[in-house]
Amino acid sequence: MQATLSALLAKATAELPALRTRADFEAAKARYVGPHGEFTALMKQMGTVPKEQRPAMGKLVNEAKAQLTTQLDAALQRIADAEIAAQLGPAIDPTLPSPDTGPGTTHPLTLVREEMCRILRKAGFTVVEGPEVETEYYCFDALCTPADHPARDAQDTFYFPESARFGNVAKKTPAEKYLLRTHTSSVQIRTMLKGEPPIRVVSPGRVYRRDTSDATHSANFHQLECLYVDRNVTVRDLKALLDYIFASLLGKDTVTRFRPHYFGYTEPSFEVDLSAKHLPKVNKDWIEIGGCGMVDPAVFEGVGYDPNVWSGYAFGMGLERLAMLMYGIDDIRYFYQNDLRFLKQFA
Amino acid sequence: MKLSRNWLRQYVRLYATTEELQRAITFLGFEVESVTNTGLPPLSNVVVGEILTRTKIPNLKKDISLCTVDVGPAHGGVRSIVCGAPNCDAGRRVPVALPGAVLPSGFQIAQRKTYGHESQGMMCAPDELGLPGEHSGLLLLPATAPIGQPINEALPDGDTVFDVEVTPNRPDALCHLGMARELAAWLKYDLQHPEIKFQGTPKGTPPSPLLTSIRVDAPEDCPLYVGIAVAGVKVGPSPVWMQERLLAVGLRPINNLVDVGNYVMLELGQPLHVFDAKKIAGRQIVVRRATDGEKLVTLDGKERALNSRMLVIADEAKPLVIAGLMGGHDAGVDATTTDIILEAACFRPQSIRWTSRRLGLTSDSAYRFERGVDAHGTVAAAHRAIDLILETAGGTVVGPVMKAGGDRPWSREIRITPNYIRAKLGFDVTDDEMRDALIGLALPIKAEHETAAGLEWTVAIPSHRRDLDRPIDLVEEVLRIYGTDRVPSAICSGPALADGDDDPIARFNRQATDYLVGQHFHEVVNYTLRSQTELATWVSAAAAGELALANPFVDDQSHLRPTLIMGILESLKLNQSRGIPAARLFETGRVFMELNGTVQECVAVGFVLCHNPKERAWRTRPEPDFYTVKRHVEILARAAGLDLAAQPLVPVRGAYWGWQEGQSAAAGEMSDGWTARFGLLNLAMVRAAGIEGKVWAGTLALLPQKLTVGGSHTRYRPFSLFPAALRDLALVVDADRHADEVRAQLLQLAQAATGPSFAIERVEVFDVYTGAGLPAGKKSLAFALSFRSAERTLTDDEVNAAFGKIQQAIAVDGTMSVRA
Repeated sequence: MQATLSALLAKATAELPALRTRADFEAAKARYVGPHGEFTALMKQMGTVPKEQRPAMGKLVNEAKAQLTTQLDAALQRIADAEIAAQLGPAIDPTLPSPDTGPGTTHPLTLVREEMCRILRKAGFTVVEGPEVETEYYCFDALCTPADHPARDAQDTFYFPESARFGNVAKKTPAEKYLLRTHTSSVQIRTMLKGEPPIRVVSPGRVYRRDTSDATHSANFHQLECLYVDRNVTVRDLKALLDYIFASLLGKDTVTRFRPHYFGYTEPSFEVDLSAKHLPKVNKDWIEIGGCGMVDPAVFEGVGYDPNVWSGYAFGMGLERLAMLMYGIDDIRYFYQNDLRFLKQFA
Repeated sequence: MKLSRNWLRQYVRLYATTEELQRAITFLGFEVESVTNTGLPPLSNVVVGEILTRTKIPNLKKDISLCTVDVGPAHGGVRSIVCGAPNCDAGRRVPVALPGAVLPSGFQIAQRKTYGHESQGMMCAPDELGLPGEHSGLLLLPATAPIGQPINEALPDGDTVFDVEVTPNRPDALCHLGMARELAAWLKYDLQHPEIKFQGTPKGTPPSPLLTSIRVDAPEDCPLYVGIAVAGVKVGPSPVWMQERLLAVGLRPINNLVDVGNYVMLELGQPLHVFDAKKIAGRQIVVRRATDGEKLVTLDGKERALNSRMLVIADEAKPLVIAGLMGGHDAGVDATTTDIILEAACFRPQSIRWTSRRLGLTSDSAYRFERGVDAHGTVAAAHRAIDLILETAGGTVVGPVMKAGGDRPWSREIRITPNYIRAKLGFDVTDDEMRDALIGLALPIKAEHETAAGLEWTVAIPSHRRDLDRPIDLVEEVLRIYGTDRVPSAICSGPALADGDDDPIARFNRQATDYLVGQHFHEVVNYTLRSQTELATWVSAAAAGELALANPFVDDQSHLRPTLIMGILESLKLNQSRGIPAARLFETGRVFMELNGTVQECVAVGFVLCHNPKERAWRTRPEPDFYTVKRHVEILARAAGLDLAAQPLVPVRGAYWGWQEGQSAAAGEMSDGWTARFGLLNLAMVRAAGIEGKVWAGTLALLPQKLTVGGSHTRYRPFSLFPAALRDLALVVDADRHADEVRAQLLQLAQAATGPSFAIERVEVFDVYTGAGLPAGKKSLAFALSFRSAERTLTDDEVNAAFGKIQQAIAVDGTMSVRA
């Protein structure tokens, strides 16, 4: 029996390392330690061994079993390792570029708009939208622009033919014409007519001027406009908002100042200058960045608000101009050409 | 408008530097567009010298002279100076820069050897001294200029000209006196009005034969007309001081009469006109509407066709002047003029503006009338002009000051409390500061009262400040003089407004942008206005007509865009043509779509995915296909609150604007309030646009009111914790049947077969097969069916029973069969 055990172990030592697949392994394992395996058969012969030899023989059998188990485990491990190695394939070259598409990018005008909206949201402003095709009432009349004001001239504003019908923009009077809005201030009127004060909104959007395209002018561009209506709103509140916006956007070194100006729908009215010498390509002490003022009582009367109760301010600026200032871009047309070498610089 | 510092100085003391003045004008509310210095800047060590001798230096290519120049004993007497100017002749007096002088260019004068001779200074040409003029020779000074006198004393003062933008609310500032009034308030000096000697004619003065009557036929367009006759004038050049002032602000002196008219306009803001009396037929002036087709040749030599909305100044026979705009070629003063009629009038701004636009004709006079001329200053301006005419051209006033209209008195007061001003400003300004500001601006406080609201002022508004009408207008006046740059800052604060979220459009655009950027798309921004040719690819000619502007600026930007794809393709092409690989682009924005004969402004998102086979990579990735863009559109639709899976999809067949037949699909129509198109862009169109490769694209457009971003509340639905039982089933159907239709049918049969005891959870297509083994015109669709119960683990028997029922139902149905 001892000889049989040794022969069996020798056979296993020779056979098991050569196994390559899990199936072969399972078959081999069955042949040795399965219910009808050779080793199992030997174990069954233990009963025939004389009583006095049993302890020594039992020790031998146990040792043989341990050896066999170790060999089987090793064989299985080898097969599992080989399987994993086969799954992995050859080693990679980490320096090869990924063939997948690179990251997407957000347009700089969107970045600036969203950043402004984020800053304004912290100050309680929510975003409102209005149509780009407007009527004369919302774009001009309600903002106290007289009928023969030069800004309304067909030389400066895009109009639609009198036959034009826009299904989701209603005219106030049948005689007024449809036009492409020249400023986002039209949304002020829509917001005030729709809601009740207090109001704190920002309206970003696309506007149109009939203008020659060059490095600083574009047939359409974008504006962002803030409107705040409440009790006891002051000039100082307006200044506080502007200081907050531009310090948040351009850094704490940014200073703003007011210059008196004239807009038909605010009184008093100001132009806003920025001092931000830390920005690229800024070589002037003060840069004009937008217009603002206290909402004119006549505008409130037009939308049915009592100007003795309600007061407010409005502020508007060009987004292209702001983006050009922030990033040091010197030609407005780059925003509309969409060269990826341009777009990829801002995301 | 150009303002001369020397001119302004006639009315207000100006000790301020140019920088201080520029700042003052700016903070008074008038943008300074440019500042130009004329005349001599302050120069030291530059004096008057006389050239005593001139000797040509021999053997030089250039004509160079050695001169002796007397600069006076105080500056070293006679000096030896080398000079290359052609006009350095003996006997001439010229400016001499002595060693130590620094010229405006920065050039430092020193004694140095030049052309072999010691030169003890430099004689100067005008440009070297910072004066306008060419570098063609020395500046020649009058023979009376004292030798040795500093040059700034020998030459008249320079001037500084500010080119200023005056906002339309301030016509009163379109003249030197008006701006001086503003500066006086800022600088806190008194305003000095020009002295006017002529004070009109005694009552009852009989009409002169030069002008027998003035008749205004259109008083609504001409509220005031003043005519004064002057006999015996002598036409000639105006005096030097007047010419200098006119030249400084860019006006060419003509003759004394014309110049006086311009001078008074630029001084007081009242445009004037001077007629040659003998050219007025019938000796009467008629202010009337032109007749349609009437013609007049204006001063600029052009014939103007007039109509009945235009106002003219005429005699009994013919129009002489287009009122307020420009005189006629034949009615003006000329060298032979001896008797004149001076016109000072007021015209309705709208009338002048309309005529000016209509004729494409502008003038300094029209510019002022369009903005509004103060009728209450018209007579005074006429008197001022008479003074200057008598002074510069002689003659005598004959007949009375004839006047038509202008009898409406002016009176306006605004009652305001200093507390109101402080409440609007939000910071403290003392009563005294406010009072000083108002008085400084010539807005006198006529009365002060104590009221319940505190001190109240009654402020008198002069006729030239019609823009001041309400208390808020005076807040601006006080703030202007206080200084808008002194508005203090504060912490940005305000009561929280709890209601309101960002507009759904903004939220949708943000979600779409975030998604597509996350999917490696680049956001582009294109113009809304496109060309008619471009539109023809996407909409019918009739629909394009609805999108046309009435007054496009350029031909290729004449129509509203009906889709974002045309702009995105343009961006794709630009990048390809510049050799920049661009595969994924998108845009959000408004598009304009036709619905029932109207145009609807829609919110839209569009994207393209380009596969360019010419682009190489070391490892190739699968090409995008229809199902790639379908997934993107589904997700974008979900951001808009639309479930595309629940919508019927229509494959694009036949000519379908821009999209490739058999490779594209459409869902939704504008009548539903939204529309989606996606698939392959028409290959021929893409080729014609000069773009390489296949372009897959998707668009979604919807009416703003259709957007329901984050509107509904989500409710949790419980789900089964028991395992699913899976069965596969392949069905043979007609090849042109849509997979989703078959799936829906199968789902219905499965629901019927499972009954109430357990549920069919999912039916999904996982394989599509056509070809060998199938009859012609058929395809096989393989579905995975998943059964599950909420209460227990299903047994094989019950699932098999249900599966069998499904197959029986399919056999009965007949439109499809189980594949063997």
